Amino acid sequence: MAGEPQIVVEGLRHAFRPPRSREIVALNGVSLEVFRREFVAILGPSGCGKSTLLYVLGGFLQADDGRVLVDNRPISGPGPDRGIVFQHFALFPWKTVRQNVLYGLERAGLPRAERERRAQAHIDLVGLGGFEHSYPSQLSGGMKQRAAIARTLAYDPQILLMDEPFGALDAQTRSLMQSELLGLWQRSPKTVIFVTHDVQEAVYLAQRVLVMSARPGRIKAVVDIDIDKTGTGVFKNPVFVEKVDQIWNMVRDEAIAAQEATLQ
Amino acid sequence: MTLTAVTRYLPLLLLALLWEAATRIGLVSPLVLPPFSDVIVAWVDLARGGELLTNGLSSLYRTFSGLGLAIVVGSVAGFFMAWSPTVQSLLQPVVRLFYPMPKSALIPVLALWLGFGDKSKIALIFLGCLLPVILSAFNGARGTEQALMWSARSMGASRLRVLLDVMVPTALPELLSGIRIALAYSFILLVSSELVAARSGLGFLVGMLGEGGVYNAMFAGVLTIAALGFAADRLFLMLSNRVLRWRE
Amino acid sequence: MAGVEATARARAGASPRIFEVRLAGAVRGLVPYTVITVILLAWELFAHSGLVTPFMLPPIEAVAQMVWLDIATGSLFVNLGATLYRTFVGFGIAAVGGIAIGLLMANSRIVNWLLDPVVSAGFPMPKIAFLPVFILWFGLYDLSKIILIIVNAVFPVIIATTSGLRAVEREFVWSARSMGASERRVRWEIVLPAALPQILTGLQVALPISLIVAIVSEIIMAGDGLGGAMIASARYLQSPAVFAGIVEIAFTGFLVIKAMEIIRARALAWHTEATHTVVL
Repeated sequence: MAGEPQIVVEGLRHAFRPPRSREIVALNGVSLEVFRREFVAILGPSGCGKSTLLYVLGGFLQADDGRVLVDNRPISGPGPDRGIVFQHFALFPWKTVRQNVLYGLERAGLPRAERERRAQAHIDLVGLGGFEHSYPSQLSGGMKQRAAIARTLAYDPQILLMDEPFGALDAQTRSLMQSELLGLWQRSPKTVIFVTHDVQEAVYLAQRVLVMSARPGRIKAVVDIDIDKTGTGVFKNPVFVEKVDQIWNMVRDEAIAAQEATLQ
Repeated sequence: MTLTAVTRYLPLLLLALLWEAATRIGLVSPLVLPPFSDVIVAWVDLARGGELLTNGLSSLYRTFSGLGLAIVVGSVAGFFMAWSPTVQSLLQPVVRLFYPMPKSALIPVLALWLGFGDKSKIALIFLGCLLPVILSAFNGARGTEQALMWSARSMGASRLRVLLDVMVPTALPELLSGIRIALAYSFILLVSSELVAARSGLGFLVGMLGEGGVYNAMFAGVLTIAALGFAADRLFLMLSNRVLRWRE
Repeated sequence: MAGVEATARARAGASPRIFEVRLAGAVRGLVPYTVITVILLAWELFAHSGLVTPFMLPPIEAVAQMVWLDIATGSLFVNLGATLYRTFVGFGIAAVGGIAIGLLMANSRIVNWLLDPVVSAGFPMPKIAFLPVFILWFGLYDLSKIILIIVNAVFPVIIATTSGLRAVEREFVWSARSMGASERRVRWEIVLPAALPQILTGLQVALPISLIVAIVSEIIMAGDGLGGAMIASARYLQSPAVFAGIVEIAFTGFLVIKAMEIIRARALAWHTEATHTVVL
């Protein structure tokens, strides 16, 4: 994990200008570094701009000020080096699971046989074998999210951006998906930037947790998570519990501040 | 197609039987309402004589040409409007301006400009079907989700690709429903213009038969037109449902 | 991509790009008028250019003159009156009859079984095809036109009524019943008002249809009315008068739609829908 960071953000500022109201500064001077194959969580209260940060990293929104560098080059728009997984899955409803997963592979221009092989491999990897020809409307929430993950992983992006991917799932499915994701990452590590508002989820999955302040967002704190996550009972590990507590206190202050801001 | 469909439309059969009975008994004068069986006989005559076929083909050609053109031009225009705010602000007032006007008011003008043949009918149907298609393409495309477009872009799709791969399929359900409405309009406009200014076609045929007092054949023609309109709608519905089978 | 993206991003909370903001501001208000002016200018230029004969495209002055003539001689009002008379009589009967039939169908299985195929088969049919039959039965004057209007306009009303009634939330009905309301009361005081928005939508569709059928039947059968006057002008090859007719009919169409919107707004003022309109 040493060496040059893969992603560098310096002094990032981004504001929204809604049609008939004042400008809203979502991010104000965000700076961070992410190293190759690191699993980083971005944690913060609602409305703190964490999704905005992710969208800027993805190249969907532009920085108003500051720099965003990937492999030492500024980003210019979205691209297959940064795959994204959304909270509401964003599967193409008119395509089957297989067709969805094939989409990125087709854009990558791979030969037919290779595309089919990879698509099937990733469908099996996320446990959707047998559902290749189902449409998203026929799948449960958890299955849809697996399909979305398979679709993004299939074309092997270097960086994986995840925007509260388990937020729309029920608690049990969420729990299952968390351990599956961790397992996947441990077996074939990638750079992952995972946005969430759930402290336990962040501590469970990530190696480093970046805590964001309330709007306008900045990185308030960076917490290293140095816990052995193999085996069951991670959630009961006293070190785990303490970390969660520590981070929750940071977040809570920001959450309260965010609430008060909206009441004004 | 199935037993349920048969039972559903059974009352129509009863209606036909009632028709036959009423005229045969003498409840209704056969001058005003020829017996159903006479109408059937007249229909077979028309079919054998070829008038049904030639006029029918003429009518269908006009309908589907006009409608086809309207679908192509309308969907492109509607998508363009959704794609570019400039195009939208230019086209929107034009659409709003022409929307409340009954397009059948154009029958005389188009007859003056393009005569009594196919062209005036195709032009009328094109103009009449254009707006519903534009509107439905536009409204359907406008609802395209951000996350879907961003996903496609992040997977390496160019802006144009996103238009084709995401916006068009998103718009399809609404577009198809707009086309179904346009299909109904196309038949209405076809019959209207053929009753006013034509030398061929089913509407013309029916008008001629009416004027000539050949009422059993006239009824046969009228029922044929009605049946064609109905069949076209049902066929289109089946096709739509097949294309949109991915919906829940 | 800008348009769809802009809408989607706005909904996702993102800001519009600068040039979109600028365009949105001042220009948006003016564009509709600009476009219409451009169209009128193009018409005028084209008409005077010599590329087309005055017969094919009469200049705006000639058309305006005909419209003015119609107003001055009073013929516009006579014809407009005839057309609107047929439209509203037909619409009125279709509205009352349609709602009544819809109510019957929703409340009686037998009636529903009998009429449902007629309604669902009849709806997509080009009922204008029955005009020759109606001429045979009802003659060449108002009656056949009005009956054709009724036949066309009644379908959307019936369909809207039946689906509106069926869609009334069960909770409304159950609450009313548990408060002791009789079946009859529930039907008239709960279900019908709740179905009103949808019924009004059916009426909103039926009124323009009534106008269209009035115009079409006038064009086909000649005689009086806006459509009849227009086809007469066409027969006499008076193209400015034909264009004037189009303008007059278009204006009438616009008025009718506006009238319906106002009626709907008044009738549904109590409904949450009051703020919603279907707009481009």
